[in-house]
Amino acid sequence: MLRKVIKSNEFVIFLILAFLSLMVGTINPAFFSISTVFDILRAAIVYFIMAFGLLPIMIAGGIDISFVAIAAVTSYATHMLLIKYGYQGGIVPYYLIACAMGLLAGLLNGFLVTRFNLPVFNVSLATFTMWYGFNLFFVGATSNFDLPKGTVGYYAKFLITSQDPLVGTTGLHVSILYVIVIGVFIWWLLKYTTIGRGVYAIGGNREVAIRSGFNVTMIMLVIFAIMGILSAIAGVTQAFLSRYFNPVIFIGQPLDVLAAVILGGASVTGGRGSVIGTALGVLLIQLINRTLILTGIPVEWQKLVLGIILILFTSIPALRERRVRRMGHTTELLQE
Amino acid sequence: MGEEILRVEHISKRFGGVVALDDVSLSIRKGETCCLVGENGSGKSTLIKIISGVYIPDEGDIYVNSHHYKKLTPIESIHEGIQVIYQDFSLFPNLTVAENIAINEQVASGKRLVNWKEIEDIAREGLTKINVSLPLDVTVETLSTADRQLIAIAKALLAKGRIIIMDEPTTALTQKEIKALFKVINELKSQGISILFVSHKLSEVTEIADRTVILRNGKKVMDQDAKGLEIRTMEYYMTGREIDTSVITFAEVVPVTPPLLRVENLNLSHGFFNISFELGQNEVLGITGLLGSERTELALSLFGMLPADSGNIYVKGDRVEIKSPMDAVRHGIGYVPDDRITQGLFLDQSISNNIVVRIIEGLKTRTGLLDNRTKSEQANQWIRQLEIKTPSGELPVKSLSGGNQQRVVLAKWLASNPQILILNGPTVGVDVGSKAEIHELIRTLAKQGIGILLISDDIPELIQTCHRILLMRAGKIVGEFHQGEITEQQLYSELIAGTLVESSR
Repeated sequence: MLRKVIKSNEFVIFLILAFLSLMVGTINPAFFSISTVFDILRAAIVYFIMAFGLLPIMIAGGIDISFVAIAAVTSYATHMLLIKYGYQGGIVPYYLIACAMGLLAGLLNGFLVTRFNLPVFNVSLATFTMWYGFNLFFVGATSNFDLPKGTVGYYAKFLITSQDPLVGTTGLHVSILYVIVIGVFIWWLLKYTTIGRGVYAIGGNREVAIRSGFNVTMIMLVIFAIMGILSAIAGVTQAFLSRYFNPVIFIGQPLDVLAAVILGGASVTGGRGSVIGTALGVLLIQLINRTLILTGIPVEWQKLVLGIILILFTSIPALRERRVRRMGHTTELLQE
Repeated sequence: MGEEILRVEHISKRFGGVVALDDVSLSIRKGETCCLVGENGSGKSTLIKIISGVYIPDEGDIYVNSHHYKKLTPIESIHEGIQVIYQDFSLFPNLTVAENIAINEQVASGKRLVNWKEIEDIAREGLTKINVSLPLDVTVETLSTADRQLIAIAKALLAKGRIIIMDEPTTALTQKEIKALFKVINELKSQGISILFVSHKLSEVTEIADRTVILRNGKKVMDQDAKGLEIRTMEYYMTGREIDTSVITFAEVVPVTPPLLRVENLNLSHGFFNISFELGQNEVLGITGLLGSERTELALSLFGMLPADSGNIYVKGDRVEIKSPMDAVRHGIGYVPDDRITQGLFLDQSISNNIVVRIIEGLKTRTGLLDNRTKSEQANQWIRQLEIKTPSGELPVKSLSGGNQQRVVLAKWLASNPQILILNGPTVGVDVGSKAEIHELIRTLAKQGIGILLISDDIPELIQTCHRILLMRAGKIVGEFHQGEITEQQLYSELIAGTLVESSR
């Protein structure tokens, strides 16, 4: 059991996280503070949510990039709609309306993929471009800072706060609770429901999944619907955390989320991936993006470091395979 | 032997103008192992697909458990207890053993939630039925082909399979694993389960069959008790001609110094040790051994895919470094892999493109473009010479039968004029008729001066084509036999001797 844990992808990424934290902390002791933790978590919240939405699709063997566009169009359109009617209330209607839109947008992807048997990536490339275009052309092209009165204090609604001599009061934002609920839900879905096992089955061998009686179309629609809803939640949450609505929010971020899910052990060909791994992957990328600067490493280097880690990570399975081959354990595969 | 459980009567099936099955009748009793034998294209697969409900017969009747059907749907077939184990085993490589075994039941039960304890119980029950134990929590991709097959069988039994159809189940198994499979089949028989065993490996058929049914060109040509049925008789019915193994002329080995290929103390860590041998011109040298003998690793080392750690390789007396397949090709070594589908062919490409792929550089015109006329001329020459049965060289390779595909792989290498050809299991998955023709081809190539290393565990094949046979065990050469000095039976006992030692390793 212990050996299985040590050999797992999750453990490797945990080690990298620990190593990077130690390194950053040694160079700049300011890193070791509760406010840093809160800061990284706050930045990671929406990435957790989007990555959890992407994970089932990657396990089923698809690569999607449209979730960022869905986050942008659902949050921005909801906001523009509500302020047009002079809405001044709380945050709940934002989530409800955006989630409904996200559900439809996710189902559109799912419909195109299942009805016409198209590759997920092709469909998502199209809807990615389409939703950003739609947002800018039909909804609005400028950021909007005009928040309803009922939502103004939300950005600083903390679960716990801490006093820091340097940065003053910092806190752990309540939306971390969404992350926990969503993470547990996706974990339960993947591990304990027939749909979730179907997701792994489709990624493992799609033909056999159909032959085994899985309703592949239904499963794909469900995971795209979940992706759409989670994207909407991420979009709205980000807008309230940063206190403005941006029609092209996240436009440069889909690769960060994809990278996080892949670092977490998902395979681009499907069949593999876990919630814990994905969460660690998100943390690692946030750590790289936000804290390497504390060590004095120039910003440009952050991408380079992330790239190197990704190369190392994606080559681990290949290297392991080669070693096994050399040890002769795959003779049964080599021999007729 | 129990009562009749499945009977098909006067089944005919046509595809366009081609008659796939012509008035075929067959019945299987409870607890009976019926072997369905026939060359590729004889109608075996069509018959299986009609029984499992994939195809609808044009004429005929099907009776299962005394229920009468004009045609079966896949669901009806499963409900009647018919289970087909296809060659791909229909498993999920990324899921655990337990889940693979239990997944059908999970889906069929319509349960929305997964109870992992239940999954393990189901899996354990399935494995108990065939009396094997496998770790339940490892993923299937880490298991050997033989273990995967056991999982597929357990799965079929759990689906209340009363008639289990095994489609070429031994193709990917070693001798030892085949023995284990037969033990499981006998266990199933004793539980009253009927087996329809589809194969063209006749030596296995004689071992396992209660009754043998032979199809040829869509017609049933033999249906009789397997007792006392000789392989030669079966071959005759299968091919419609007697394959005479006694009148084989071997190429004269011309003793040349230095030898064509000399291998000296070749080592691969965790692979083989101190391998030394010589291969002469015109010679066919067999290398055999069971799983774990590392014979395939040796072949891959000589071709540069798993470069050896130490030792020397000499081609025509010159010491050569073989660190990659490119090195091997440069020194005139060709390799025909055992898995021609994934390693030897571009399936969707035309036959001629596949044949010329290795000599494409030489087919360029002055402008650097491909000279299509020379290309087809070259390809057609090989199609004629190797008697590849196709109406046109422009058809995709996947349209060919296994035996003809193997010829395309051979043509590809022969076109580049190799001096040494390594053949790894050249007739795996090839029917008897084509097999004999490929053997003849190997002997002919040797006569033309090519040195051939034949890696195989097909004993008749080794005896019928090789001048010398090297036996490997656990990475070492443990025996050398000359043509004419050893019989099939002796070689077989040499091959399986020491398996006990090996398995306790």
